[in-house]
Amino acid sequence: MAQIADQPGDRAEAFFEHRFERLLPAQDEALSPREWCEEGFAVRLVRAGRAWHASRDGLAGTAFIEALRQIARAQPRTALVEPAMPESAEWQEDATPLLEFPRWVERAIRAEHVAFPLRLALRQHARAVLVVGSRLVAERQSERFCSALADLPWGRIGALLPRLDEGAAAALAARLVARFRARFAEPPASGRTTLVLSPDAAAVLLHEAVAHALEADLLSLSGRPEAALGVQFGASCLNVLDSPGAAPETVRRTSDDEGMPVLRRWLLRGGVVEQPLADGTWADASAALLPGAARRGHRHDLPGPRSSHLELLPGESDEAALLVAGDGGLWVNEVDRGALDPWDGSFTLAVPCARRIAAGALGEPVGPFRVRGTVAGLLSSVVAVGRDVRPAGAGWCAKGGQALPVWATVPALCIEGADVEAL
Amino acid sequence: MNAASDEVLAALARAGHDAAEVYTKRGRSRRVLFTAAGPVASSTQEEGWAIRAGGARGGFFLAGSGAPLPARSWPAPAGPPLRLPEPMPVGDWRQPADLEAPLLAENEARALLEAIARELAAELPGARVQQASLQEGASESEVVSSRGVRAAWRSRAALLRLEAVLPGERRVSAAIDAAERLAHGFAPSALARRLADRLHVLQAGAAPDRDRGEFLLAPAVGARLLLGLLPLWIGPGAAVLSKGLLQRGTRIASDAVTILDDGRLAGGVLAAPVDGEGTPTREITLVAQGEARQPLLPWWAARPPQTRASGCVRRASYRDVPGVGATHLYVRPRSEVSVASLLGGVVRGYYLLDVTGAGAFDLQGDRFTLPVCGFAVQGGRSSAPVRGAWLCGSVTSLLRGVQAAARDLAFFPLDGMIGAPTLLVTGLELRSSSSA
Repeated sequence: MAQIADQPGDRAEAFFEHRFERLLPAQDEALSPREWCEEGFAVRLVRAGRAWHASRDGLAGTAFIEALRQIARAQPRTALVEPAMPESAEWQEDATPLLEFPRWVERAIRAEHVAFPLRLALRQHARAVLVVGSRLVAERQSERFCSALADLPWGRIGALLPRLDEGAAAALAARLVARFRARFAEPPASGRTTLVLSPDAAAVLLHEAVAHALEADLLSLSGRPEAALGVQFGASCLNVLDSPGAAPETVRRTSDDEGMPVLRRWLLRGGVVEQPLADGTWADASAALLPGAARRGHRHDLPGPRSSHLELLPGESDEAALLVAGDGGLWVNEVDRGALDPWDGSFTLAVPCARRIAAGALGEPVGPFRVRGTVAGLLSSVVAVGRDVRPAGAGWCAKGGQALPVWATVPALCIEGADVEAL
Repeated sequence: MNAASDEVLAALARAGHDAAEVYTKRGRSRRVLFTAAGPVASSTQEEGWAIRAGGARGGFFLAGSGAPLPARSWPAPAGPPLRLPEPMPVGDWRQPADLEAPLLAENEARALLEAIARELAAELPGARVQQASLQEGASESEVVSSRGVRAAWRSRAALLRLEAVLPGERRVSAAIDAAERLAHGFAPSALARRLADRLHVLQAGAAPDRDRGEFLLAPAVGARLLLGLLPLWIGPGAAVLSKGLLQRGTRIASDAVTILDDGRLAGGVLAAPVDGEGTPTREITLVAQGEARQPLLPWWAARPPQTRASGCVRRASYRDVPGVGATHLYVRPRSEVSVASLLGGVVRGYYLLDVTGAGAFDLQGDRFTLPVCGFAVQGGRSSAPVRGAWLCGSVTSLLRGVQAAARDLAFFPLDGMIGAPTLLVTGLELRSSSSA
């Protein structure tokens, strides 16, 4: 790699990837199980604001040398020596939890004395990554997690789970039962109201409204990314970090997909932007930006700045206090999806169902609605942050067509005067 | 044929799997991107395989990179029985000559994107391409099965995505996706004009009052409407879904509507002699002058002579489980009808140029909404740009309200290649909100 990156300021890396996935589709679907086992690599040279990238399936030394020659802008002074390539991974993922999990979910639903049609698909994901730079070889990284997709007659619910166990099954079942109980509920009246977001819902909000909004590439669409530093972006009770090193153990990272050490990155401190998400390319372009947040969905994709594991530092409100603060408003337990328009900062959250808050307690369910507003408007309306943090999967993020899991450890929070629109 | 595939088939047979299929694919592509972080040139080579195997006890699916290898042990098959197609004659197929054309070089790709940027700036001063991606690729696929299917085919495709911005008091952006067999097929001036039109109406336009009238739908709008209606035309469930929309026997649309799917469309981006299972492709008429003929059906769902099968099982890559889908599904154009003649005939209505977001189609509830932009039209001339508009109505009104189709058929890379010419439609409504 050092032979390729032979000019001052050059950045070069080789990215080796092994992936394994096992899907157990819903019972009535054909082809079960389904398994994918892949390996390959990508090499990249970044020079003076331009980049050359080559990716290949398989781990052949000859293909690696050919790819290196392709990205080198001139023939290296000495011959490129075919290296010993990483060995193929032997995946031996235990399929037992995949088989047991549907039974656990079913039992947890039955315990609530309800029954409804359910199609559940479960997936195991495993990935190992090795990044070799021109100066450093980062520690090998591995990620193992699961995902679930439940189809109900009233919609679809997805979940990211560090592992499949009875606790995760109970949590998923609770969400399914809540959706079932809200199936005929009328949406709330359109207008302004107070919302209390559960940790799961707050995780989606923070991913969309803070993490995406502070990605260097999206910030650049409306100006210089570093211009965001020091801007009051949300209420002073918001302290938000991206810390891949504190993610659930099975997906924890020490280096990013460019081989740079990850940071405990303060995105917002007291609501003020402190350090946007940047990869090596954006950090090269601005001394104010720090690398370490590069992710890529696949070896054939280019790395870009993305969040991995969001943390919202706890506030002082316990659940009772949040319900008092949200009196007359809505308790949002989950969010279907969010969307940020980086051009104008407008923002929507699609909420499939919620519950009214009355006299400090949860009341009747309400049907689907949308939360609309600008990122700055919504974040500055946060009036309370819960004190009990909970790990939550913010969900799959599909920015730029690259599907990546995003994790979060956050408490509940309360937003005053949110603009909701009945669906 | 790939000898490794035959070895795997033999190993699966020894393991007692009555039905087995091995699919392999090799591909290479070049991509040039203009990103906010700078230009990137990328090359990709992919090689992988997929196995479907099982029988009466169910089936399993395995996929991986590299060449297929017999496994030490195979997963236990589960789920519904696995059925695979019998071999069928491919029929008359002439290999397209462009398969041998070299992939676009980095400097050629760069020059094409720069030409589009120049044309856009000339068309609409101030407008600029903010991000662009041009990718061109070629691939070879093979499928062999225990039923005796042995098929090989090659593909070519080029994809272009453009995102442009127009600064001003109201800063607006627009994005378009286009596909051709070869990157040389992209016309910079036409693409720039499409972007410029959209940026102009987004910046200068106003949301309409609730209104009705005649609607001239540009191909981009017609194709997105067709995309929303795909469940009516594809798969065994389509007949049930479309039943509620039928009028007088089998009539589902006006005389002006003929809808086809053609896996061998000459010059089509997805044209191939066989589909992802090795079943021959063909042209199928789904709606003929408003009469529902049959949905697009794979071999296992067709019931001859009432319905004919078509090779319509797609596999985008070796990682994808085969699934039924459109290849080139389109509304038949009328060569004698020009867009200008349709526009000239609009007394009061709208010329809708493009779609600005995702629509909602409730086929059982017989209604749809689609966010659009374009121009108001009075006496055959555009009178004002329109943005923030939603085209709304019932699906039956849409299908029965098509008065004419023009000659300018264009395809868009949506769920397969979906195409439409400019359509003149009545009986719909324009609103300023999807829920108004």
